[in-house]
Amino acid sequence: MRSPSPARLTEPNLMLTRADLAKYPFLNEASDYIKELGISIDDIASPDFSPVLERAEKRLEEALSKGRVSNEFQNENAEILSFPVSNLILSLTGEERAQRRFALAEAKRAYELLRQESPEKLDYIARTTFSWKLKKIDAQPGKKFYDFAISLADYLRNSIHLKEPKWKLPNRILDHGLVYATREELARLLEEEVRTRIVDRSGRLPGEVPKLLQPKVERTRGLITKWLGTPSHYELPKVPAPEAMPPCVRNLIDNLAEGKNVQHMGRFTLASFLVNIGAGEEEIVKTFKPASDFSERMTRYQVEHIAGKRGGRTKYTCPMCTTLKTHGVCYKPDEICSTIRNPLSYYKTKARILTGKGPKREPS
Amino acid sequence: MNPAEQVIRQKFQQYYLDPKRQLDPPPNPSEREYGFLLFNGKFMVRHRSFKDPTSLLTAVRDLVPSHVYFSTAYYREPTAPMEQKGWIGADLVFDIDADHLNTPCKPDHDNWKCKACGTTGNGGAPKLCPKCKNDRMEEQTWLCDRCLQEAKEETAKLLEMLYTDLGIDHEDTKLFFSGHRGYHVHIHSKQTSKLGEEERREIADYLLAQGLDPQLHELEETSVGGTKVAEGPLIGQPGWRGRIVAGIYDILGSEIDQIGLTSNQVSALKSWDREDLLRKPFWSSVKGVGMSTWKTLVSKAVEKKSAKIDSVVTTDIHRLIRMPGTLNGHTGLLAMKVPEERLDEFDPFTEPLAFQGEMKVKVKESPGFRLGEEHFGPYRDEVVGLPSAAAMLLLCKHRAEPVA
Repeated sequence: MRSPSPARLTEPNLMLTRADLAKYPFLNEASDYIKELGISIDDIASPDFSPVLERAEKRLEEALSKGRVSNEFQNENAEILSFPVSNLILSLTGEERAQRRFALAEAKRAYELLRQESPEKLDYIARTTFSWKLKKIDAQPGKKFYDFAISLADYLRNSIHLKEPKWKLPNRILDHGLVYATREELARLLEEEVRTRIVDRSGRLPGEVPKLLQPKVERTRGLITKWLGTPSHYELPKVPAPEAMPPCVRNLIDNLAEGKNVQHMGRFTLASFLVNIGAGEEEIVKTFKPASDFSERMTRYQVEHIAGKRGGRTKYTCPMCTTLKTHGVCYKPDEICSTIRNPLSYYKTKARILTGKGPKREPS
Repeated sequence: MNPAEQVIRQKFQQYYLDPKRQLDPPPNPSEREYGFLLFNGKFMVRHRSFKDPTSLLTAVRDLVPSHVYFSTAYYREPTAPMEQKGWIGADLVFDIDADHLNTPCKPDHDNWKCKACGTTGNGGAPKLCPKCKNDRMEEQTWLCDRCLQEAKEETAKLLEMLYTDLGIDHEDTKLFFSGHRGYHVHIHSKQTSKLGEEERREIADYLLAQGLDPQLHELEETSVGGTKVAEGPLIGQPGWRGRIVAGIYDILGSEIDQIGLTSNQVSALKSWDREDLLRKPFWSSVKGVGMSTWKTLVSKAVEKKSAKIDSVVTTDIHRLIRMPGTLNGHTGLLAMKVPEERLDEFDPFTEPLAFQGEMKVKVKESPGFRLGEEHFGPYRDEVVGLPSAAAMLLLCKHRAEPVA
């Protein structure tokens, strides 16, 4: 490994130091820095590289086991270089759920660091790596002090993933297309952006992969099984389990059974839910039989359509909870409902609880 | 096609065949999907695309649809099946319709019938039948000055929020009369075209103030030297904060007796000078008015100031929406562009009239109504000769049959 030249890094960029790149290895500047070092994937076999490989594996192990990644800033280069290597190893496993978990852990780590940064640095990172449109402001319309006004689109893209009422747009100050945010809030929104960026970038593979990485990939597969369980635990239970159904779906089934009319959105929800948990076509058609306007031919056609056997050949997924709320299909949400965003996730979670299988999720 | 539909279709055809006729297609017209609802058995022709306004007009003249729609979305392949169209983006659209408003005149001109048990009632249809809890209702609605005036006021509120809060550009905004009971607002802008369903839902919720929590706008009770004091947002603050205070100011000036406060609370508020709201800070300064009263006032203010849009329309990023410059098959009125500066003076019962001449129809039953300067009806079981626009309205609203 050639020795890096921090001068080249700091010259054109007054805002970020190498220490910053170690903190935020997902930044555009970090990728540029690696390019400047002239390092390619083949250098991985070099003995100089072993701290990087070690750190890369540690990142993965921590993310998979604890959902957190620690900070190790003594060796800044190893910190910067290990991040893309972790990503590469993970991509080679082809395990999406592990990639999501890694992205979340790295994003949380970034958040803890970002929230301590100056407004100037936050502004710079948001603007350059993530192309946000935002303004630094200095406003105190009430008790809170706001450092930023973020463009509506940038705000919404990230806030929709956050469930606390304070992120809901009607609870924000929105002024000429800009949403006010505190420094802390900006850091939290950036965490979402970081997570999305890492997920979007994973799965991109270089043409050739050094042999040396193969054992690391195998080891990581082992870690994934150890900490996340075998994939089947995360997939939907094979046999439909009625007791794991969410309240909305149970309500739809009950209403149909009682001969009450169920609106289109309700019917679509029920059918797409049943299709996705692997219920058979016959069974699904039977569920709709008590409906006052039941037509077997029509029902069969629609179920096949939803299952992707007809028309556009797309298998439909179940509508999101927000949609179901809008259409009045959501019914007596319970505790599990507050942790999920789609009836199918409810089913997964509940089935896991009922069978006592699979790993426990960390509260996020 | 029943006899009424035959007459309506014939009239629509004449209208579209006029050589002067021009359609006003949306921006990037070739990336849109078009849809036509035909008179013939209510059949929907969709997934069509057109390169230019001329070929679109040719299709309309050819098919003579009862309703003409285009997609708010732009697609790489607008004619492909839904899943393969390749969504590029979509206009941000808003629909304000008297269907979603609670106007006091509805019992006079609207009625409903439960499709399951036959129960009937006046006014807008309830969500569920009060008798059998079924949700399938047959509704008969009417257009009246009052309903459309309220729709207009909601539209004005919507536009104000779009500009001052959401920062939407006037130049990207177009306003249309729907040809029936409301108004549509289309926003064609790079800033909003890529927004997904969930993002649009947030925007809809913002305009409706759905999920607004006054505490998060710093309405709270604090203690100053042992006395409890209410504090809240102030006039002039951006977004909902200032708007809440403005709403309270309006309520105190007009309907303070009608919002369910006790007579003590009302008299305390009446003896207070509401101009204090325009000075800062004011919240603590009303004797005998506590936190719960302020909360009631805030929730009424929010209701008053929110814009009653149909959130289903705004959140659907694949929606087909009525094309301006075409006839609305529910009324025979023209869906048309309304220059925003003219919204106030726009008369939905004069400008969108599309038919000349006279027609004879047999009216089953109709409320009284106005078109242009003329008043008509009410009618019941009678044959009347009417200006074509009025006769067409009655035919389209299923209130009359043609007379041979």
